Amino acid sequence: MNFEELQKAWQSHDAGAKVLIDADVLLKEVRRNQRNFRATIFWRDAREVGVAALMTWLFLHWAIRDRVWSLYLVAFACLGVGTFMVVDRLMQRRKQPASNDSLKACIETSLHQVNHQIWLLKNVLWWYLLPFAAALAIFIAAAIWRSRHVAATIGGLCVYALVVAVLYWGIYRLNQWAVRTGLDPRRQELERLLASLE
Amino acid sequence: MTAQQQEAIFRRWLDAHLGLMLKVVRGCAAAPEDQDDLFQEVLLQVWSSIPAFRGEARETTWIYRVAFNTALAWRRGERRRREGHETFMKFDVSPQVQPSHVESLAEQEIVARLYAAIRQLPKVDASLALMHLDGLSYQEMAEVLGISENYIGVKLNRIRKQLAEQLKGANDEL
Repeated sequence: MNFEELQKAWQSHDAGAKVLIDADVLLKEVRRNQRNFRATIFWRDAREVGVAALMTWLFLHWAIRDRVWSLYLVAFACLGVGTFMVVDRLMQRRKQPASNDSLKACIETSLHQVNHQIWLLKNVLWWYLLPFAAALAIFIAAAIWRSRHVAATIGGLCVYALVVAVLYWGIYRLNQWAVRTGLDPRRQELERLLASLE
Repeated sequence: MTAQQQEAIFRRWLDAHLGLMLKVVRGCAAAPEDQDDLFQEVLLQVWSSIPAFRGEARETTWIYRVAFNTALAWRRGERRRREGHETFMKFDVSPQVQPSHVESLAEQEIVARLYAAIRQLPKVDASLALMHLDGLSYQEMAEVLGISENYIGVKLNRIRKQLAEQLKGANDEL
């Protein structure tokens, strides 16, 4: 059987012939799915930005109430992280693939998004963990320094540094695992697809 | 675009292009539950894409784009929409809805084997094979994929050979 005969058999077969669709129920389902999707995105954004906003407010409130200058730094760090997340989310939203893009354009945009996610996870120390940890370190150092004990200040900072190092190492490893198992395979898959179109 | 207009277009596309969407779904997913999952995703994306449709592209080209892009992003078992949803699709075996022509068992077998062979191809090649079998022109395929018509020709030659190779055993049996 040659290709033309295969094509003829294919075209004479109607994939939808034996399928009945209840359009009303389908429309209800489609709208429900769309609502759920929008709600998921909204609550994910609200959760991330909400936590940053809440922490900013808490530290700012604490700084004003107790007149502790170093707490302003912590509040500022929280605000910075929250702002970064909002700006990044808005910028990336503009670059989202449209479902009616050509396949090649869609792959390129998806690849850009995956690369950006990998960049975020690999650099989480710089844009998320370090600003907060540094501000908190200054706050702890200032608090202990006020007690006029140099040895206690150094000791306290050492303990803090150790705890932060262990915690951040764990977070770093977790992020590397997420990149290795979830994002890298996806990136490779998209790169292969793009290569097959070039 | 009003919600009523969007709904009217969606219903019309469903009537006219349901077979196209199902072919893409069956060409990209093998298990029935995966097909169900992907089909729902395709319908959702087609619905969402309607406000952006200005009539500049042909409806079939547009729907192919949306369906292939959805199939590309979809990953088996990643998201299940079936839980808690109402059934909107069912297979009808009553005589009055049978197709006007009678598909021979041999033809059905060929089509089933074609689907299986297409699923073995790389994703981009599978997309091309589906459009080629449906008789889309090189220009339309180039529009859907975003590549040149010359390259389409080169790829299709290879795909034809691959499909012929995979169906060789089947053809002998048939």
